[in-house]
Amino acid sequence: MSELVRLTEVTKVYQGGITGALNGVSVTVDKGEFTAIMGPSGSGKSTMLNLVAGLDRPTSGTITVGGTDLSTLGEAGLATFRRDHIGFVFQFFYLLPNLTALENVLIPAQLKGNPPTGRARELLDQLDIKEVADRYPARLSGGQQQRVAIARALINRPTLLLADEPTGALDTHTGDQVMELLGGLHRDGQTILLVTHDPKLATRHAARVISVKDGKIADDARLESPERAPSEVIRVRSEEAPR
Amino acid sequence: MRAIFVKTLADLRRRRLQAAVIFATAFLATGTGTMALMIVSQTGDPFKIAFQAQRGAHLQVFFDPRSDTGMLAGTPSLIGATAYGGPYRATDVQFQSGGHKYVVTTIGRDNPNGDVEQLRITAGHWPAGANEIALTRSFADLNHISIGERLKVVSVPQEPVLTVAAEVVDIDEAQASITSQHAWVLASAIAPLIAKDSSSYLMTYRFASDPTTAQLKADLDKVSAALPPGSITSSVNYLFIRSIFNVANQAIISSLIAFSVFAIAATAAIVANLVTGIVISGYREIGIMKAVGFTPSQVVSVFVLQILIPTAAACALGIPAGTILSQPLLANSSQALGLAYQATFSPALDLLALGGALLIVTIAALLPALRAGLLKPAVVIANAMAPRGQSGRWLRRLASRLGLPRPLVLGLGDAVGRPLRAILTLLTIFVGVATIVVALGEARSFDGIYTYEAHAGKVDVVIYRSPAFTDVEATQLINSQPETARLVAQTTATIAVPRIVDPVYSLIFRGDSSTLGYLLTTGRWISGPGEVVAPRGLLQDAHLKVGDTFTGTFRGSALNLRVVGEVYDFLGGPGGHELILDWSTINAIVPDLAPSTYQITAKPGSNIDAYVKRIAAAEPDLLDVQANHTGVSSGLGMIDGVLLAIAVVIALIAVAGIFNTLLLNTRERMRDTATLKALGMSPRQVIGMVASSAGLMALVGGLAAVPAGIALSRALFDLVGNIGGVDTPSAAYGVYAAWELIAILVGGLVVAVAAAMIPGRWAARTNVVEVLRAE
Repeated sequence: MSELVRLTEVTKVYQGGITGALNGVSVTVDKGEFTAIMGPSGSGKSTMLNLVAGLDRPTSGTITVGGTDLSTLGEAGLATFRRDHIGFVFQFFYLLPNLTALENVLIPAQLKGNPPTGRARELLDQLDIKEVADRYPARLSGGQQQRVAIARALINRPTLLLADEPTGALDTHTGDQVMELLGGLHRDGQTILLVTHDPKLATRHAARVISVKDGKIADDARLESPERAPSEVIRVRSEEAPR
Repeated sequence: MRAIFVKTLADLRRRRLQAAVIFATAFLATGTGTMALMIVSQTGDPFKIAFQAQRGAHLQVFFDPRSDTGMLAGTPSLIGATAYGGPYRATDVQFQSGGHKYVVTTIGRDNPNGDVEQLRITAGHWPAGANEIALTRSFADLNHISIGERLKVVSVPQEPVLTVAAEVVDIDEAQASITSQHAWVLASAIAPLIAKDSSSYLMTYRFASDPTTAQLKADLDKVSAALPPGSITSSVNYLFIRSIFNVANQAIISSLIAFSVFAIAATAAIVANLVTGIVISGYREIGIMKAVGFTPSQVVSVFVLQILIPTAAACALGIPAGTILSQPLLANSSQALGLAYQATFSPALDLLALGGALLIVTIAALLPALRAGLLKPAVVIANAMAPRGQSGRWLRRLASRLGLPRPLVLGLGDAVGRPLRAILTLLTIFVGVATIVVALGEARSFDGIYTYEAHAGKVDVVIYRSPAFTDVEATQLINSQPETARLVAQTTATIAVPRIVDPVYSLIFRGDSSTLGYLLTTGRWISGPGEVVAPRGLLQDAHLKVGDTFTGTFRGSALNLRVVGEVYDFLGGPGGHELILDWSTINAIVPDLAPSTYQITAKPGSNIDAYVKRIAAAEPDLLDVQANHTGVSSGLGMIDGVLLAIAVVIALIAVAGIFNTLLLNTRERMRDTATLKALGMSPRQVIGMVASSAGLMALVGGLAAVPAGIALSRALFDLVGNIGGVDTPSAAYGVYAAWELIAILVGGLVVAVAAAMIPGRWAARTNVVEVLRAE
């Protein structure tokens, strides 16, 4: 598989921070991989995701996504990069409250200038929420809102799907359903970078688990099969990142 | 209580920017509101105020110069006057200045003060020597005569030269553009100025309360009966002066009041918008406070105090600032009204401004805070975000159908996301744009009235004839000039009309008067003997209509007259009491009637200056020749300036309103903006989104305001016309060019979009990670 993401000696220090949120992290992600990033609160896993998405800039080091060095892009360039290459799923969905589900899904495509209404409806259908297309977010359940958010992330056929604790605001059953969805997308070839606290969810679908602790990569394990994670890995992750 | 104050002060420290915004807006609003209140208070009944302040004379009587001054001094007790002035020696003085000749009734008086008719010196000093004279400011302004200027008196053979020592405001006479004026020299200096048989004595009377017309007539009869027959040569009462003043100035007063009301409405709207927005943005905190044990009333108190403290601080500075800044405006408006100006500091008005500001702010803060206070904490917390649901959906859909880019579509929807805020913002813009339209319309209307009344474009030269030069000679001289294309001669007289108490001021024309360009609301222009036109005021009061006939009386002879039209003559007689008729109507009764004024239209391409100089040189002492004055008077220029200044302030408030709304919207939608940026919205698209909100509000507000402004301008003009006793013909309204209205609309759009740049750039720079992490 070809390399899609490369972080080289990436350090991120927030203003006022004594230690870095990330300290000299180097890692690569291949196209088609389903990679889970795990770690305790404040370990730097969300920071890593934000940097890969171009939402934030590293203090030092370089990040390359699909051959593009993000440090060479200005604000407008980063916006275009996100629009064209990244799909982002947030923990709290972040749907625009004054737009319907369908309108929310269409937003990234409309920003790009080619709103494919047919594909939006297909995605809603595929995610089993086509009946809520004309509802506003306030009238959707948490699970439905997250599915809408996933559809929105997929509308532009992103090279890389980033998911930051996508099940964090959902009950266990709904969270499982969302993870099943992400697993299905991966099986269809989607590259996914997932941040989660839950080792069981991570190891059930991800083929690779990167453990982050104190801004550094503590472990980087490729699992034999995403369906049969070794019990040792699960144990280690559970100790490192208790929920 | 302690918890409330601790929390309030802590919040104010934490939200310094918000407090600063409230302070700045409240400062601007209270300053403007105070200025507006000051103007409204002074223009409420300016004549009455000035009449009281300057102890105006209820009655002025001119007596025969042979009257016994002792007897004259006894007349006040005869009629129960509580104060009087005189007897003053008076005479008509003709003087020359700048190539023109003027006549003023000059009065010998040693002191501008006194118990009656106090003269306010606005420039210079009261005459101190025999060669000094005081003129009315109105006369000096109209004729461009300055302090220190030397005037050659030509009505006496010695031709003494007088230096202008003072400009004064006299409440007992109308403006110079309407009536002849008084002037003053020392009592000892009047004798050398008196031409043979041209002097009189003037007595001024003031009563404890304002007398009626009947009372004044009875008083005059008493004085007349007590003196030898023919002792009274003329008289003027305050009711006549007041009616002239009101006709001349109602346009200005109405406009000032209307503009002040606009200013107060705009400031109230922006304050309400700002405070409501801040309270709504604090919903989440209100919920949290309730969750930790604050009672609903304590929560509301904390929030209202947070708004009231910076507002009170702003009032402490804004009200004095507004009071001080209003003084030049008041001085200008006073000058335009022909009144004396005195610095005005009214504690009652300042208290009214303070109370009004605090009341508006309290109500604006209380309503949303109470609403939030009544909600359950969890609901309040959950509602503490950008507007949700269908607000603006129809607009987004419409914009989508028009194929607009998505950022613009979102921005347009955001503009109406909070309907109340959108309405208040639109109201502010509406008032701002409408004010500019009205300001333009009123200024044009005033200018138009003067241009119309001066027959600008119809008459090129006006000649005033001295009685020593005969009408035949004057007519021959004028007609002998090769440039003369048309001549209309004119004189004035008074004609008694049934059902009208006072004799009616009448204009009598010789020549083709239809070419003077008078506008008619109904009927036609006069074309022969016996025909008259009159303004609506006279027709109404005399129970006449176009087509009616009536019998008038002129110098004791009956005149059979027929009304053939209703004329628009704004500056005609008081209450529209005026008749216009042809020379042939009077000539049969008074064959020796002679015109006093000649209105000349020159052939196209003529050199008017050369024409004026040539005729003036032919008879320098007996003819006063002037190119037809079409310029706007200085008073009118000043009032245009006052209206423009108020319009600019209101427009600035409107811009602040848009800016404020966009700031609130941007702050509320910070999370949405961060999400959109995460989804790929570029900084330029973010700015476009914010700017489209501003553009929409400016467009809608402007589109509504332009026709409303035109309608309001016309309504004000109609109101003024009604007071003057005239109906306004449609031709008098045509004061706007299409490009001007489009320019106002486009200008509003450009300013609004420019105002959106700061919040737009702020939104574009939103740090996605920080905003979403804070959530």
